[in-house]
Amino acid sequence: MDKTPSVVGARVKRIDAEDKVAGRTLYPSDKTLPGMLWVEVVRAAHPHARIREIDVKPALEVPGVVRVLTHRDVPGENAFGIQIQDMPVLCFDRVRYLGDAVALVGAETRQAAREGARRVRVDYEVLEPITDPEAAMAPGAVALHPKGNIMHQGHFEKGDLAAGFACCAVIVENDYSVPMIDHAFLETEAGISYYDEHGRLTVDACGQYIYRDQTQIARALGLPLHQVRVMAPIVGGAFGGKDEVTVQIHLALMTFHTQRPCRMVATREESIVSHTKRHPVKMSYKTGADRQGNLLCVQARFVADTGAYASLGGPVLNVMMEHAAGPYRVPNVKVDGYAVYTNNGFSGAFRGFGCTQACVGLESQMDLMAAALRLDPLKFREQNVLHKGDLAGLGYPMTCEVGAGRTVRSAQRGALYRSRRRRAPAKPATPSLKPYLRRGVGVATQMQGLGLGIGIPDYAEVGLDLRPDGTLQLRAGTNEIGQGAYTAYLQILSGRLGVPLSRLSMVGADTALTPDSGTTTASRTIFAVGKAVELAAEKLERVLGERAERAFGWAPGPARLQGDQLAGSGGRRPLRELLGDEELSVQAVFHVPVAEREMGDGLPHRFYSFGTHVAEVEVNTLTGEIAVTAVEAHLDGGKVISRTGFEGQSEGGIAQGIGYALMEEVRLEGGRFLTTNFHTYVIPTSLDVPEDLRTVPVEVREPEGPYGAKGISETAMVGVTPAVLNAIADALGVRFFRLPVRAEDVLAALQEKKT
Amino acid sequence: MSLTIHFTLNGSPVVFEVEPEERLVHTLRERAGLTGTKLGCGIGECGACSVLLDGKLVPSCLVLSAQADGHEVTTIEGLSKNGLSDLQRAFVEEGAVQCGYCTPGMVMAGEAVLRRYQRPTTRQIRAGIAGNLCRCTGYAKIVSAIRKTARRRAHRRSGR
Repeated sequence: MDKTPSVVGARVKRIDAEDKVAGRTLYPSDKTLPGMLWVEVVRAAHPHARIREIDVKPALEVPGVVRVLTHRDVPGENAFGIQIQDMPVLCFDRVRYLGDAVALVGAETRQAAREGARRVRVDYEVLEPITDPEAAMAPGAVALHPKGNIMHQGHFEKGDLAAGFACCAVIVENDYSVPMIDHAFLETEAGISYYDEHGRLTVDACGQYIYRDQTQIARALGLPLHQVRVMAPIVGGAFGGKDEVTVQIHLALMTFHTQRPCRMVATREESIVSHTKRHPVKMSYKTGADRQGNLLCVQARFVADTGAYASLGGPVLNVMMEHAAGPYRVPNVKVDGYAVYTNNGFSGAFRGFGCTQACVGLESQMDLMAAALRLDPLKFREQNVLHKGDLAGLGYPMTCEVGAGRTVRSAQRGALYRSRRRRAPAKPATPSLKPYLRRGVGVATQMQGLGLGIGIPDYAEVGLDLRPDGTLQLRAGTNEIGQGAYTAYLQILSGRLGVPLSRLSMVGADTALTPDSGTTTASRTIFAVGKAVELAAEKLERVLGERAERAFGWAPGPARLQGDQLAGSGGRRPLRELLGDEELSVQAVFHVPVAEREMGDGLPHRFYSFGTHVAEVEVNTLTGEIAVTAVEAHLDGGKVISRTGFEGQSEGGIAQGIGYALMEEVRLEGGRFLTTNFHTYVIPTSLDVPEDLRTVPVEVREPEGPYGAKGISETAMVGVTPAVLNAIADALGVRFFRLPVRAEDVLAALQEKKT
Repeated sequence: MSLTIHFTLNGSPVVFEVEPEERLVHTLRERAGLTGTKLGCGIGECGACSVLLDGKLVPSCLVLSAQADGHEVTTIEGLSKNGLSDLQRAFVEEGAVQCGYCTPGMVMAGEAVLRRYQRPTTRQIRAGIAGNLCRCTGYAKIVSAIRKTARRRAHRRSGR
């Protein structure tokens, strides 16, 4: 049956590209409405303080200020949060990080709103900020929340660790530290709010899940769901950073109280201070293998600084623990993890979702063990990778298709890895290589859970409308945050129906128009929504067949679309003869299959993507500068639907992985941000990402996905960082355990090596 | 106290009343309604607000609107007045657009590179867009789109 239509897997133009490249696309930050108010947030002046009193009178005296809102004006539940609602919409007794919102100012102009925000007087009793997660966990520490500072913990054990270590020929034990980093989506948090023509309180703002945002808004405003409408079709980047509510409730609240349209656009400084981050994590790994190179033991402990509020900190820690032993068969495993409240900003979802941090530790360990055993790093990985049916780290069986080994072998065949020998440290084979430059090549293999995992509802519903002229409109509730999924959905639809892309269109992310397709996160949209698109296409042909049977007396069976004609057992008839002037709409829902046994919130996943990255670096031993000169990505995301999108995700993931390895760190001192904009929070530019990027699809088809597709967006990034770290170690013979690795770290390490 | 400024915007004369401290990005987005020019950082670090001022690439968040008085400003809307430009088409073809928020600024930077060099090297292209941040693409396809346009323009020139 497997005759894949040419549109699937092809390089097609993105449906949104022309408008975007012309500057015509309206993003949340571009939208305005007549008579709107600007809304500014008064944020906490201290990372940790008690609020004694809030005086809004001086703000109301500013000309142009229309309304100032505080916690007293939150009509519903003054709390939000994806998993645990522990974050106030507007703080009332205490502030826990610098991004905490204390008041909202609505004014005729942005200037007036800003001036008003400056004049709101908040009387604080300043408290000592809690900035060290280990200290926050200690008995007697000041509690930031009623249940104490350990927001979430997990403990898993499999096999017999002590007995396992006793059989090891090599045991490697190290501590690793990875920093807080920012998503640095190019469009800051923004949007508008208004009452629509049906009197619904409407929020058109950035986000990653309209239906959950709708719930969070309705809960805070004490409104029934149907009175709240949320839309967010096009978003200027997210990467997990717009998964939690940002501006949505604040916008809704101001429109609710003033009955006027409102607008918010965060400054970059406000964005960095207020939204979630990637968890900074301190981790300890102890791993061991026998003389034959069989991985016997992985012991890991994670302490994740989750900051002031929960958001998705619990699930992030769970995914970190789930992936602690990576894509490997390990008989003896012990994992302990803690997510701890502090006053250091707040952390949550970010591409990789906990997997990213664990992979830095584990893949460094893998290289160290391989070196101690004098084994080739990829051979060592190949020998230990999981296969279908094996037990994963935490002890559950891998029931999905597992392409880990194939990504390793694909990397072994790749030009970059084969060049490794020739570029051994201190033996520059390239004649042009200056004597102070050292080249190195490093690898990393990883897996990444797909979708939300067991215990968290994970489904996708889509709508499909057929017009009498044979054109179709697909309606899906996920956001276009840059990943290109809308185009991929239409490729799947085109493939299944045999209708050219030019006859298909897409409506995205509007609770009034599109069904609940689930979150735009967790590498899930092509897999889950794409599958629902397939189901909708099948259903449409079935329904058309049934109606043709009744109307034309055709034999039972599905009917196919051919332009504006319908084809079936009884030949061809114009579609209009069947539909008249009516549209035919169908809906379909896909429930993502889950693992057999739940081990924790979202834990484990049933489906995974896999990847092996190979990175080449050139280190200048005089200046300490590290240049990543080439990266090869061997990625198993199942069948590739959009070749352009697949490469785009991979190349963007490589850039982010390099940033995490070498440049990025949100620095805080006493809970205050030292890096507040792109002059101090530095992300990779075109000069930091190598020209030589190669993405090799390793298409291990997953039968549950559309055309056998899985997802790729996180796998594309996660392995890059440890591959770069391993390349640096290969180049210098010096290993780094703390990210980011900067030039000064390299110089200091080389100095130390000499002495 | 506001100022009256006159300048040429995408080929047409315009007049605006602006505040003395007002930045050009604000005038373009909020007064002229040309939201193709984006605002990403406000301190000249990200390039999302890039426009051409008398043909030269500038971050419009660091240009006072008053500085545009008597000059010529080209925005992304100006490049596609008569349909997409060759460079914009190349961005679409090469898959250089993802979330697209950096794209208008990136196209302006690419256009500046192409006006500066007839046959830019990859290094020159990369340096030319180094002031424009993109978080989605890893830059490779953006560089390809600019390189492709350079080749096409060279071909056109030699064909004459």
